[in-house]
Amino acid sequence: MLMTANQLALLKISAWQSFYMVLVSTVLTAVMGIPLGVLVVVARPGHILANKLLYRVLGFVINATRSIPFPIFIVFVIPLTRFLVGQAIGSTAVIVPLTLAAVVFMARLTETALLEVPFGVIEAAQAVGATRWQIIWKVLLPEACPAMLMSVTITIITLISYSAMAGAVGGGGLGDFAIRYGYQRYQTVVMWVTVIMLVIIVQGVQITGDYLVRRFTRR
Amino acid sequence: MSLIEIKGLIKTYDRRGQEPVEALTGVDLTIEEGEIFGVIGLSGAGKSTLIRCLNLLEVPSGGSVVVDGRDLSTLSRSELLHFRRGMGMIFQSFNLLSSRTVSANVAFPLEVAGLAKSEIRRKVGELLELVGLSDKADAYPAQLSGGQKQRIGIARALANNPKILLCDEATSSLDPQTTSSILRLIEDLKKRLGLTVVLITHEMKVITEICDRVAVMESGRIIEVGRVMDVFMSPKHPTTQSFVEVERSSKEASFCQDFQPQGKLVKVYFVGESVAEPLVYTLVKRYGVVLNILQANIDNMNGTPFGAMIFDLSGAPEDVEKSLQYMRESGHKAEVIKC
Repeated sequence: MLMTANQLALLKISAWQSFYMVLVSTVLTAVMGIPLGVLVVVARPGHILANKLLYRVLGFVINATRSIPFPIFIVFVIPLTRFLVGQAIGSTAVIVPLTLAAVVFMARLTETALLEVPFGVIEAAQAVGATRWQIIWKVLLPEACPAMLMSVTITIITLISYSAMAGAVGGGGLGDFAIRYGYQRYQTVVMWVTVIMLVIIVQGVQITGDYLVRRFTRR
Repeated sequence: MSLIEIKGLIKTYDRRGQEPVEALTGVDLTIEEGEIFGVIGLSGAGKSTLIRCLNLLEVPSGGSVVVDGRDLSTLSRSELLHFRRGMGMIFQSFNLLSSRTVSANVAFPLEVAGLAKSEIRRKVGELLELVGLSDKADAYPAQLSGGQKQRIGIARALANNPKILLCDEATSSLDPQTTSSILRLIEDLKKRLGLTVVLITHEMKVITEICDRVAVMESGRIIEVGRVMDVFMSPKHPTTQSFVEVERSSKEASFCQDFQPQGKLVKVYFVGESVAEPLVYTLVKRYGVVLNILQANIDNMNGTPFGAMIFDLSGAPEDVEKSLQYMRESGHKAEVIKC
Protein backbone atom coordinates (compact mmCIF):
# COMPACT_ATOMS: atom_id res chain seq x y z
CA MET A 1 0.00 0.00 0.00
CA LEU A 2 1.11 3.48 -0.86
CA MET A 3 -0.77 5.08 2.03
CA THR A 4 -1.62 3.99 5.55
CA ALA A 5 -5.20 3.25 6.54
CA ASN A 6 -5.14 6.41 8.62
CA GLN A 7 -3.96 8.54 5.72
CA LEU A 8 -6.58 6.99 3.46
CA ALA A 9 -9.35 7.76 5.94
CA LEU A 10 -8.13 11.36 6.20
CA LEU A 11 -7.92 11.61 2.44
CA LYS A 12 -11.51 10.45 2.15
CA ILE A 13 -12.71 13.00 4.69
CA SER A 14 -10.70 15.78 3.02
CA ALA A 15 -12.00 14.91 -0.42
CA TRP A 16 -15.54 14.98 0.91
CA GLN A 17 -14.96 18.36 2.58
CA SER A 18 -13.59 19.77 -0.68
CA PHE A 19 -16.50 18.38 -2.63
CA TYR A 20 -18.98 19.81 -0.14
CA MET A 21 -17.42 23.28 -0.06
CA VAL A 22 -17.06 23.53 -3.85
CA LEU A 23 -20.50 22.14 -4.63
CA VAL A 24 -22.45 24.34 -2.23
CA SER A 25 -20.51 27.47 -3.11
CA THR A 26 -20.83 26.77 -6.86
CA VAL A 27 -24.60 26.55 -6.56
CA LEU A 28 -24.81 29.68 -4.43
CA THR A 29 -22.39 31.51 -6.72
CA ALA A 30 -24.38 30.68 -9.83
CA VAL A 31 -27.62 31.70 -8.13
CA MET A 32 -26.22 35.08 -7.11
CA GLY A 33 -23.39 35.73 -9.55
CA ILE A 34 -25.35 35.31 -12.78
CA PRO A 35 -28.17 37.70 -11.78
CA LEU A 36 -25.57 40.19 -10.55
CA GLY A 37 -23.77 39.94 -13.91
CA VAL A 38 -27.06 40.41 -15.76
CA LEU A 39 -27.81 43.47 -13.65
CA VAL A 40 -24.41 45.00 -14.41
CA VAL A 41 -25.02 44.51 -18.15
CA VAL A 42 -28.57 45.82 -18.35
CA ALA A 43 -27.75 48.81 -16.13
CA ARG A 44 -25.04 49.92 -18.56
CA PRO A 45 -25.61 53.24 -20.29
CA GLY A 46 -27.70 52.64 -23.41
CA HIS A 47 -28.81 49.15 -22.37
CA ILE A 48 -32.32 48.00 -21.56
CA LEU A 49 -32.31 49.15 -17.92
CA ALA A 50 -29.74 51.94 -18.16
CA ASN A 51 -29.03 53.36 -14.71
CA LYS A 52 -25.81 55.27 -14.23
CA LEU A 53 -25.85 55.20 -10.43
CA LEU A 54 -26.63 51.48 -10.15
CA TYR A 55 -24.00 50.69 -12.78
CA ARG A 56 -21.32 52.68 -10.97
CA VAL A 57 -22.17 51.29 -7.51
CA LEU A 58 -22.18 47.68 -8.73
CA GLY A 59 -18.92 48.20 -10.60
CA PHE A 60 -17.30 49.66 -7.50
CA VAL A 61 -18.48 46.88 -5.17
CA ILE A 62 -17.32 44.17 -7.59
CA ASN A 63 -13.92 45.76 -8.13
CA ALA A 64 -13.41 46.39 -4.41
CA THR A 65 -14.26 42.80 -3.51
CA ARG A 66 -12.02 41.44 -6.22
CA SER A 67 -9.06 43.53 -5.04
CA ILE A 68 -8.78 41.67 -1.72
CA PRO A 69 -6.53 38.57 -1.85
CA PHE A 70 -8.54 35.50 -0.87
CA PRO A 71 -6.67 34.50 2.33
CA ILE A 72 -7.18 38.05 3.65
CA PHE A 73 -10.78 38.03 2.43
CA ILE A 74 -11.54 34.90 4.48
CA VAL A 75 -10.44 36.64 7.66
CA PHE A 76 -11.97 39.98 6.66
CA VAL A 77 -15.50 38.56 6.35
CA ILE A 78 -15.37 36.57 9.61
CA PRO A 79 -17.96 38.82 11.32
CA LEU A 80 -20.38 38.21 8.45
CA THR A 81 -19.60 34.49 8.47
CA ARG A 82 -20.32 34.31 12.18
CA PHE A 83 -23.59 36.14 11.61
CA LEU A 84 -24.71 33.85 8.78
CA VAL A 85 -23.40 30.45 9.89
CA GLY A 86 -23.11 30.95 13.63
CA GLN A 87 -19.39 30.16 13.70
CA ALA A 88 -16.28 31.27 11.87
CA ILE A 89 -14.50 27.95 11.49
CA GLY A 90 -15.24 24.70 9.65
CA SER A 91 -16.18 23.72 6.12
CA THR A 92 -19.61 25.33 6.23
CA ALA A 93 -18.18 28.61 7.48
CA VAL A 94 -15.69 28.72 4.60
CA ILE A 95 -18.57 28.58 2.13
CA VAL A 96 -19.37 32.22 3.00
CA PRO A 97 -16.07 33.80 1.84
CA LEU A 98 -15.79 31.27 -1.01
CA THR A 99 -19.21 32.24 -2.32
CA LEU A 100 -18.78 35.98 -1.89
CA ALA A 101 -15.44 36.03 -3.68
CA ALA A 102 -16.72 33.80 -6.48
CA VAL A 103 -19.98 35.76 -6.92
CA VAL A 104 -18.17 38.93 -7.99
CA PHE A 105 -15.82 36.88 -10.18
CA MET A 106 -18.77 35.13 -11.78
CA ALA A 107 -20.55 38.48 -12.23
CA ARG A 108 -17.64 39.85 -14.27
CA LEU A 109 -17.47 36.69 -16.38
CA THR A 110 -21.23 36.84 -16.94
CA GLU A 111 -20.95 40.47 -17.94
CA THR A 112 -18.32 39.62 -20.56
CA ALA A 113 -20.42 36.73 -21.86
CA LEU A 114 -23.60 38.81 -22.15
CA LEU A 115 -21.86 41.72 -23.81
CA GLU A 116 -20.92 39.41 -26.65
CA VAL A 117 -24.58 39.14 -27.65
CA PRO A 118 -24.89 41.63 -30.54
CA PHE A 119 -27.04 44.59 -29.52
CA GLY A 120 -28.95 44.31 -32.79
CA VAL A 121 -30.45 41.05 -31.58
CA ILE A 122 -31.73 42.86 -28.48
CA GLU A 123 -33.11 45.65 -30.67
CA ALA A 124 -34.91 43.07 -32.81
CA ALA A 125 -36.56 41.76 -29.64
CA GLN A 126 -37.48 45.29 -28.56
CA ALA A 127 -38.95 45.92 -32.00
CA VAL A 128 -41.46 43.10 -31.60
CA GLY A 129 -42.54 44.46 -28.22
CA ALA A 130 -40.59 42.20 -25.86
CA THR A 131 -40.48 43.31 -22.22
CA ARG A 132 -37.12 43.72 -20.46
CA TRP A 133 -37.76 40.51 -18.56
CA GLN A 134 -38.45 38.65 -21.82
CA ILE A 135 -35.30 40.09 -23.35
CA ILE A 136 -33.22 38.80 -20.43
CA TRP A 137 -34.80 35.35 -20.35
CA LYS A 138 -35.48 34.71 -24.01
CA VAL A 139 -32.63 36.61 -25.66
CA LEU A 140 -29.65 37.51 -23.47
CA LEU A 141 -29.26 34.33 -21.44
CA PRO A 142 -29.99 31.75 -24.20
CA GLU A 143 -27.79 33.60 -26.70
CA ALA A 144 -24.95 33.78 -24.20
CA CYS A 145 -25.48 30.17 -23.04
CA PRO A 146 -22.21 28.70 -24.41
CA ALA A 147 -20.16 31.57 -23.01
CA MET A 148 -22.01 31.27 -19.69
CA LEU A 149 -21.19 27.57 -19.47
CA MET A 150 -17.56 28.47 -20.01
CA SER A 151 -17.84 31.06 -17.21
CA VAL A 152 -19.31 28.50 -14.82
CA THR A 153 -16.49 26.08 -15.66
CA ILE A 154 -13.85 28.72 -14.92
CA THR A 155 -15.65 29.64 -11.69
CA ILE A 156 -15.75 26.03 -10.48
CA ILE A 157 -12.03 25.65 -11.09
CA THR A 158 -11.36 28.91 -9.28
CA LEU A 159 -13.48 27.67 -6.36
CA ILE A 160 -11.48 24.43 -6.23
CA SER A 161 -8.33 26.50 -6.08
CA TYR A 162 -9.72 28.90 -3.44
CA SER A 163 -11.00 26.01 -1.33
CA ALA A 164 -7.39 24.89 -0.84
CA MET A 165 -7.00 27.91 1.44
CA ALA A 166 -9.93 26.82 3.62
CA GLY A 167 -7.48 25.31 6.08
CA ALA A 168 -6.74 28.81 7.34
CA VAL A 169 -10.01 28.74 9.26
CA GLY A 170 -10.31 25.01 9.83
CA GLY A 171 -12.33 24.28 6.74
CA GLY A 172 -10.35 21.17 5.86
CA GLY A 173 -10.38 19.85 2.32
CA LEU A 174 -7.73 18.41 0.03
CA GLY A 175 -5.53 21.52 0.03
CA ASP A 176 -5.44 21.64 3.80
CA PHE A 177 -4.66 17.92 3.95
CA ALA A 178 -1.77 18.37 1.54
CA ILE A 179 -0.30 21.26 3.56
CA ARG A 180 -0.64 19.68 7.00
CA TYR A 181 0.33 16.12 6.16
CA GLY A 182 2.17 16.32 2.87
CA TYR A 183 4.21 19.43 3.69
CA GLN A 184 4.37 19.95 7.44
CA ARG A 185 4.71 16.24 8.27
CA TYR A 186 6.94 15.37 5.33
CA GLN A 187 4.48 12.75 4.01
CA THR A 188 5.49 13.16 0.39
CA VAL A 189 3.09 10.48 -0.81
CA VAL A 190 0.16 12.45 0.60
CA MET A 191 1.35 15.53 -1.28
CA TRP A 192 1.59 13.60 -4.53
CA VAL A 193 -1.74 11.88 -4.15
CA THR A 194 -3.64 15.09 -3.40
CA VAL A 195 -1.95 16.99 -6.19
CA ILE A 196 -2.73 14.23 -8.68
CA MET A 197 -6.34 14.11 -7.46
CA LEU A 198 -6.72 17.88 -7.89
CA VAL A 199 -5.23 17.73 -11.38
CA ILE A 200 -7.65 14.96 -12.36
CA ILE A 201 -10.66 16.78 -10.88
CA VAL A 202 -9.82 20.07 -12.60
CA GLN A 203 -9.25 18.28 -15.92
CA GLY A 204 -12.59 16.51 -15.51
CA VAL A 205 -14.41 19.79 -14.85
CA GLN A 206 -12.76 21.48 -17.83
CA ILE A 207 -13.48 18.61 -20.21
CA THR A 208 -17.13 18.45 -19.09
CA GLY A 209 -17.42 22.21 -19.47
CA ASP A 210 -15.89 22.17 -22.96
CA TYR A 211 -18.24 19.39 -24.00
CA LEU A 212 -21.29 21.34 -22.82
CA VAL A 213 -20.08 24.50 -24.56
CA ARG A 214 -19.76 22.59 -27.84
CA ARG A 215 -23.12 20.97 -27.30
CA PHE A 216 -24.87 24.33 -26.95
CA THR A 217 -23.01 26.30 -29.59
CA ARG A 218 -25.15 26.98 -32.66
CA ARG A 219 -23.03 29.53 -34.41
CA MET B 1 -55.17 61.31 -42.60
CA SER B 2 -51.80 59.81 -43.40
CA LEU B 3 -50.70 56.63 -41.69
CA ILE B 4 -47.42 58.13 -40.49
CA GLU B 5 -47.00 61.84 -39.83
CA ILE B 6 -43.65 63.17 -38.77
CA LYS B 7 -43.38 66.81 -37.77
CA GLY B 8 -40.29 68.77 -36.82
CA LEU B 9 -38.48 65.63 -35.69
CA ILE B 10 -35.21 66.29 -33.92
CA LYS B 11 -32.74 63.83 -32.45
CA THR B 12 -29.60 64.92 -30.69
CA TYR B 13 -27.07 62.61 -29.11
CA ASP B 14 -25.22 64.03 -26.13
CA ARG B 15 -21.64 63.02 -25.91
CA ARG B 16 -19.70 63.63 -22.76
CA GLY B 17 -17.10 66.34 -23.20
CA GLN B 18 -17.87 66.82 -26.89
CA GLU B 19 -20.28 68.71 -29.08
CA PRO B 20 -23.66 66.94 -29.22
CA VAL B 21 -24.37 65.14 -32.49
CA GLU B 22 -27.44 66.32 -34.34
CA ALA B 23 -28.69 63.22 -36.13
CA LEU B 24 -32.04 64.70 -37.14
CA THR B 25 -32.45 68.45 -37.47
CA GLY B 26 -36.16 68.89 -38.10
CA VAL B 27 -37.73 66.27 -40.32
CA ASP B 28 -41.24 66.65 -41.72
CA LEU B 29 -42.67 63.71 -43.59
CA THR B 30 -45.97 62.01 -44.23
CA ILE B 31 -46.30 58.42 -45.33
CA GLU B 32 -49.57 57.17 -46.76
CA GLU B 33 -51.22 53.87 -46.04
CA GLY B 34 -50.34 51.15 -48.53
CA GLU B 35 -47.30 52.76 -50.10
CA ILE B 36 -43.71 51.64 -50.19
CA PHE B 37 -41.82 54.65 -49.00
CA GLY B 38 -38.06 54.79 -49.42
CA VAL B 39 -35.56 56.99 -47.64
CA ILE B 40 -32.19 57.25 -49.33
CA GLY B 41 -29.05 58.90 -48.06
CA LEU B 42 -25.37 58.36 -47.50
CA SER B 43 -24.26 56.86 -44.22
CA GLY B 44 -24.50 59.41 -41.45
CA ALA B 45 -27.38 61.22 -43.15
CA GLY B 46 -29.71 60.28 -40.29
CA LYS B 47 -31.94 57.80 -42.11
CA SER B 48 -31.28 55.01 -39.61
CA THR B 49 -32.14 57.31 -36.72
CA LEU B 50 -35.29 58.37 -38.57
CA ILE B 51 -36.60 54.83 -39.07
CA ARG B 52 -35.78 53.97 -35.44
CA CYS B 53 -37.87 56.89 -34.27
CA LEU B 54 -40.90 55.26 -35.90
CA ASN B 55 -40.99 52.47 -33.30
CA LEU B 56 -39.15 54.37 -30.60
CA LEU B 57 -36.01 52.28 -30.66
CA GLU B 58 -34.69 55.84 -30.60
CA VAL B 59 -36.54 58.35 -28.49
CA PRO B 60 -36.82 61.68 -30.36
CA SER B 61 -35.40 64.79 -28.72
CA GLY B 62 -38.13 66.96 -30.22
CA GLY B 63 -41.00 67.07 -32.68
CA SER B 64 -43.72 64.51 -33.07
CA VAL B 65 -44.32 61.16 -34.68
CA VAL B 66 -47.95 60.20 -35.18
CA VAL B 67 -48.64 56.67 -36.36
CA ASP B 68 -52.16 55.60 -37.16
CA GLY B 69 -53.50 58.59 -35.27
CA ARG B 70 -51.46 57.99 -32.12
CA ASP B 71 -48.77 60.37 -30.97
CA LEU B 72 -45.92 58.08 -29.93
CA SER B 73 -44.72 60.44 -27.22
CA THR B 74 -47.98 59.89 -25.33
CA LEU B 75 -47.63 56.10 -25.14
CA SER B 76 -46.99 54.56 -21.74
CA ARG B 77 -44.40 51.80 -21.52
CA SER B 78 -46.94 48.99 -21.80
CA GLU B 79 -48.79 50.78 -24.60
CA LEU B 80 -45.47 51.11 -26.43
CA LEU B 81 -44.82 47.37 -26.20
CA HIS B 82 -48.26 46.72 -27.57
CA PHE B 83 -47.81 49.33 -30.30
CA ARG B 84 -44.53 47.76 -31.41
CA ARG B 85 -46.30 44.45 -32.00
CA GLY B 86 -48.27 46.20 -34.73
CA MET B 87 -45.07 47.09 -36.52
CA GLY B 88 -42.54 44.70 -38.02
CA MET B 89 -38.89 45.50 -38.54
CA ILE B 90 -36.10 43.85 -40.50
CA PHE B 91 -32.42 44.66 -40.27
CA GLN B 92 -29.24 44.76 -42.31
CA SER B 93 -27.58 42.17 -40.08
CA PHE B 94 -30.80 40.10 -39.80
CA ASN B 95 -30.47 39.92 -35.98
CA LEU B 96 -31.79 36.38 -35.66
CA LEU B 97 -31.36 34.48 -32.42
CA SER B 98 -28.46 32.11 -33.06
CA SER B 99 -29.52 29.77 -30.25
CA ARG B 100 -32.97 29.19 -31.74
CA THR B 101 -34.03 27.19 -34.77
CA VAL B 102 -35.68 28.94 -37.70
CA SER B 103 -39.17 28.09 -36.48
CA ALA B 104 -38.33 29.14 -32.90
CA ASN B 105 -37.06 32.45 -34.26
CA VAL B 106 -40.33 33.05 -36.06
CA ALA B 107 -42.18 31.96 -32.91
CA PHE B 108 -40.39 34.58 -30.80
CA PRO B 109 -42.76 37.54 -31.39
CA LEU B 110 -45.72 35.22 -30.88
CA GLU B 111 -44.35 34.02 -27.54
CA VAL B 112 -43.76 37.63 -26.60
CA ALA B 113 -47.37 38.42 -27.44
CA GLY B 114 -48.47 35.51 -25.23
CA LEU B 115 -50.12 33.23 -27.81
CA ALA B 116 -50.98 29.62 -26.97
CA LYS B 117 -48.47 26.95 -28.04
CA SER B 118 -50.77 25.32 -30.59
CA GLU B 119 -51.62 28.70 -32.08
CA ILE B 120 -47.91 29.55 -32.33
CA ARG B 121 -47.15 26.29 -34.12
CA ARG B 122 -49.90 26.92 -36.66
CA LYS B 123 -48.85 30.52 -37.32
CA VAL B 124 -45.15 29.63 -37.64
CA GLY B 125 -46.05 27.06 -40.28
CA GLU B 126 -48.02 29.66 -42.23
CA LEU B 127 -45.30 32.29 -41.98
CA LEU B 128 -42.55 29.94 -43.14
CA GLU B 129 -44.70 29.04 -46.10
CA LEU B 130 -45.25 32.72 -46.82
CA VAL B 131 -41.50 33.30 -47.18
CA GLY B 132 -40.91 29.95 -48.88
CA LEU B 133 -38.70 28.33 -46.25
CA SER B 134 -40.88 25.61 -44.75
CA ASP B 135 -38.13 23.07 -45.36
CA LYS B 136 -35.70 25.00 -43.13
CA ALA B 137 -37.92 24.97 -40.03
CA ASP B 138 -35.47 22.99 -37.93
CA ALA B 139 -32.25 24.57 -39.20
CA TYR B 140 -30.25 27.06 -37.16
CA PRO B 141 -29.54 30.55 -38.58
CA ALA B 142 -25.84 29.70 -38.94
CA GLN B 143 -26.80 27.09 -41.54
CA LEU B 144 -28.65 29.59 -43.75
CA SER B 145 -27.51 31.92 -46.53
CA GLY B 146 -27.92 35.69 -46.18
CA GLY B 147 -31.05 35.75 -48.32
CA GLN B 148 -32.60 32.90 -46.33
CA LYS B 149 -31.77 34.68 -43.07
CA GLN B 150 -33.54 37.81 -44.31
CA ARG B 151 -36.57 35.75 -45.32
CA ILE B 152 -36.71 34.44 -41.75
CA GLY B 153 -36.32 38.03 -40.55
CA ILE B 154 -39.32 38.95 -42.68
CA ALA B 155 -41.37 36.02 -41.36
CA ARG B 156 -40.54 37.10 -37.82
CA ALA B 157 -41.40 40.72 -38.55
CA LEU B 158 -44.80 39.72 -39.94
CA ALA B 159 -45.68 37.28 -37.17
CA ASN B 160 -48.04 39.57 -35.29
CA ASN B 161 -49.85 40.78 -38.44
CA PRO B 162 -48.36 44.27 -38.46
CA LYS B 163 -49.75 47.08 -40.62
CA ILE B 164 -46.33 48.57 -41.13
CA LEU B 165 -43.02 46.97 -42.09
CA LEU B 166 -39.82 48.89 -41.37
CA CYS B 167 -36.76 47.87 -43.39
CA ASP B 168 -33.47 49.11 -41.98
CA GLU B 169 -30.96 48.63 -44.84
CA ALA B 170 -32.52 45.19 -45.20
CA THR B 171 -30.74 44.33 -48.43
CA SER B 172 -27.46 46.16 -47.92
CA SER B 173 -25.51 43.06 -46.97
CA LEU B 174 -26.93 40.92 -49.78
CA ASP B 175 -25.65 40.39 -53.32
CA PRO B 176 -27.59 42.06 -56.18
CA GLN B 177 -29.52 38.91 -57.15
CA THR B 178 -30.57 38.12 -53.59
CA THR B 179 -31.43 41.80 -53.10
CA SER B 180 -33.85 41.62 -56.02
CA SER B 181 -35.50 38.47 -54.74
CA ILE B 182 -35.94 39.94 -51.25
CA LEU B 183 -37.37 43.15 -52.75
CA ARG B 184 -39.79 41.14 -54.85
CA LEU B 185 -40.86 39.23 -51.75
CA ILE B 186 -41.45 42.48 -49.85
CA GLU B 187 -43.45 43.89 -52.76
CA ASP B 188 -45.50 40.72 -53.04
CA LEU B 189 -46.21 40.58 -49.30
CA LYS B 190 -47.11 44.26 -49.31
CA LYS B 191 -49.79 43.57 -51.92
CA ARG B 192 -51.09 40.39 -50.31
CA LEU B 193 -51.17 41.64 -46.73
CA GLY B 194 -51.93 45.31 -47.39
CA LEU B 195 -48.76 46.48 -45.68
CA THR B 196 -47.25 49.91 -45.61
CA VAL B 197 -43.50 49.65 -46.05
CA VAL B 198 -40.90 52.17 -44.93
CA LEU B 199 -37.40 51.33 -46.05
CA ILE B 200 -34.08 53.05 -45.79
CA THR B 201 -31.20 52.37 -48.11
CA HIS B 202 -28.14 53.92 -49.69
CA GLU B 203 -28.79 52.21 -53.03
CA MET B 204 -30.88 53.99 -55.68
CA LYS B 205 -31.53 50.58 -57.21
CA VAL B 206 -33.63 49.55 -54.20
CA ILE B 207 -35.64 52.77 -54.49
CA THR B 208 -36.31 52.41 -58.21
CA GLU B 209 -37.15 48.73 -57.93
CA ILE B 210 -39.98 48.87 -55.43
CA CYS B 211 -40.65 52.29 -53.95
CA ASP B 212 -43.65 54.47 -54.76
CA ARG B 213 -42.23 57.59 -53.17
CA VAL B 214 -38.79 58.56 -52.00
CA ALA B 215 -37.23 61.02 -49.60
CA VAL B 216 -33.58 61.97 -49.94
CA MET B 217 -31.77 62.74 -46.69
CA GLU B 218 -28.63 64.67 -46.00
CA SER B 219 -27.19 65.98 -42.73
CA GLY B 220 -30.23 65.10 -40.67
CA ARG B 221 -32.83 66.67 -42.93
CA ILE B 222 -34.88 65.79 -45.96
CA ILE B 223 -33.66 67.60 -49.05
CA GLU B 224 -36.05 66.21 -51.63
CA VAL B 225 -39.20 64.14 -51.57
CA GLY B 226 -41.62 62.98 -54.24
CA ARG B 227 -42.74 60.16 -56.50
CA VAL B 228 -39.81 57.96 -57.45
CA MET B 229 -40.31 58.52 -61.17
CA ASP B 230 -40.37 62.30 -60.76
CA VAL B 231 -37.33 62.42 -58.53
CA PHE B 232 -35.49 60.04 -60.81
CA MET B 233 -36.35 61.94 -63.99
CA SER B 234 -35.64 65.42 -62.68
CA PRO B 235 -33.62 65.38 -59.49
CA LYS B 236 -33.31 68.89 -58.08
CA HIS B 237 -30.76 68.66 -55.32
CA PRO B 238 -27.12 67.90 -56.21
CA THR B 239 -27.03 64.95 -53.79
CA THR B 240 -30.12 63.46 -55.42
CA GLN B 241 -28.57 64.03 -58.82
CA SER B 242 -25.50 62.09 -57.81
CA PHE B 243 -27.61 59.18 -56.52
CA VAL B 244 -29.57 59.15 -59.76
CA GLU B 245 -26.46 59.48 -61.88
CA VAL B 246 -24.81 56.50 -60.22
CA GLU B 247 -27.90 54.44 -60.90
CA ARG B 248 -28.47 55.60 -64.48
CA SER B 249 -25.16 54.31 -65.61
CA SER B 250 -21.68 54.95 -64.48
CA LYS B 251 -20.27 53.51 -67.69
CA GLU B 252 -22.09 55.86 -69.99
CA ALA B 253 -20.42 59.02 -68.65
CA SER B 254 -16.87 57.93 -69.35
CA PHE B 255 -17.83 56.41 -72.67
CA CYS B 256 -19.46 59.59 -73.95
CA GLN B 257 -16.54 61.70 -72.87
CA ASP B 258 -14.19 60.03 -75.33
CA PHE B 259 -16.65 59.78 -78.19
CA GLN B 260 -16.47 62.29 -81.05
CA PRO B 261 -19.96 62.54 -82.57
CA GLN B 262 -20.61 63.18 -86.26
CA GLY B 263 -23.54 65.38 -85.37
CA LYS B 264 -25.04 65.77 -81.91
CA LEU B 265 -24.83 63.26 -79.12
CA VAL B 266 -28.38 62.99 -77.82
CA LYS B 267 -29.80 61.17 -74.84
CA VAL B 268 -33.49 60.35 -74.79
CA TYR B 269 -35.44 58.92 -71.90
CA PHE B 270 -38.41 56.66 -72.40
CA VAL B 271 -41.02 56.38 -69.69
CA GLY B 272 -44.18 54.32 -69.68
CA GLU B 273 -46.04 54.27 -72.98
CA SER B 274 -43.39 56.11 -74.98
CA VAL B 275 -41.32 52.92 -74.75
CA ALA B 276 -43.63 51.33 -77.30
CA GLU B 277 -43.25 54.15 -79.81
CA PRO B 278 -40.92 53.63 -82.83
CA LEU B 279 -38.99 56.86 -82.27
CA VAL B 280 -35.95 56.01 -84.37
CA TYR B 281 -38.06 54.98 -87.33
CA THR B 282 -40.13 58.18 -87.11
CA LEU B 283 -37.08 60.43 -87.01
CA VAL B 284 -35.33 58.75 -89.91
CA LYS B 285 -38.42 58.55 -92.04
CA ARG B 286 -39.78 62.01 -91.32
CA TYR B 287 -36.63 64.15 -91.14
CA GLY B 288 -34.11 62.10 -93.07
CA VAL B 289 -31.54 62.26 -90.28
CA VAL B 290 -28.94 59.58 -89.53
CA LEU B 291 -29.07 57.91 -86.16
CA ASN B 292 -26.14 55.96 -84.85
CA ILE B 293 -27.32 54.24 -81.68
CA LEU B 294 -24.53 53.98 -79.13
CA GLN B 295 -26.38 52.71 -76.11
CA ALA B 296 -29.92 51.74 -75.30
CA ASN B 297 -31.67 49.99 -72.47
CA ILE B 298 -35.11 49.42 -71.08
CA ASP B 299 -35.57 48.78 -67.40
CA ASN B 300 -38.46 48.34 -65.09
CA MET B 301 -38.94 50.97 -62.43
CA ASN B 302 -41.50 49.80 -59.91
CA GLY B 303 -43.77 48.43 -62.61
CA THR B 304 -43.28 51.24 -65.13
CA PRO B 305 -41.04 50.59 -68.15
CA PHE B 306 -38.20 53.02 -68.17
CA GLY B 307 -35.34 53.38 -70.61
CA ALA B 308 -32.68 55.59 -72.05
CA MET B 309 -30.98 55.71 -75.43
CA ILE B 310 -27.91 57.59 -76.53
CA PHE B 311 -27.35 58.19 -80.21
CA ASP B 312 -25.28 60.27 -82.55
CA LEU B 313 -27.77 62.40 -84.48
CA SER B 314 -26.44 63.77 -87.75
CA GLY B 315 -27.79 65.25 -90.96
CA ALA B 316 -28.70 68.70 -92.22
CA PRO B 317 -28.67 71.14 -89.26
CA GLU B 318 -32.31 72.11 -89.71
CA ASP B 319 -33.34 68.43 -89.83
CA VAL B 320 -31.42 67.76 -86.64
CA GLU B 321 -33.12 70.75 -85.05
CA LYS B 322 -36.55 69.55 -86.21
CA SER B 323 -35.83 66.09 -84.85
CA LEU B 324 -34.99 67.50 -81.44
CA GLN B 325 -38.11 69.58 -81.49
CA TYR B 326 -40.21 66.58 -82.43
CA MET B 327 -38.85 64.63 -79.51
CA ARG B 328 -39.61 67.44 -77.07
CA GLU B 329 -43.09 67.94 -78.42
CA SER B 330 -43.93 64.26 -78.37
CA GLY B 331 -43.13 64.09 -74.67
CA HIS B 332 -39.69 62.50 -74.73
CA LYS B 333 -37.17 63.96 -72.43
CA ALA B 334 -34.24 64.53 -74.77
CA GLU B 335 -30.99 66.29 -74.04
CA VAL B 336 -27.95 67.04 -76.14
CA ILE B 337 -24.94 65.73 -74.28
CA LYS B 338 -22.32 66.81 -76.77
CA CYS B 339 -22.12 68.62 -80.08
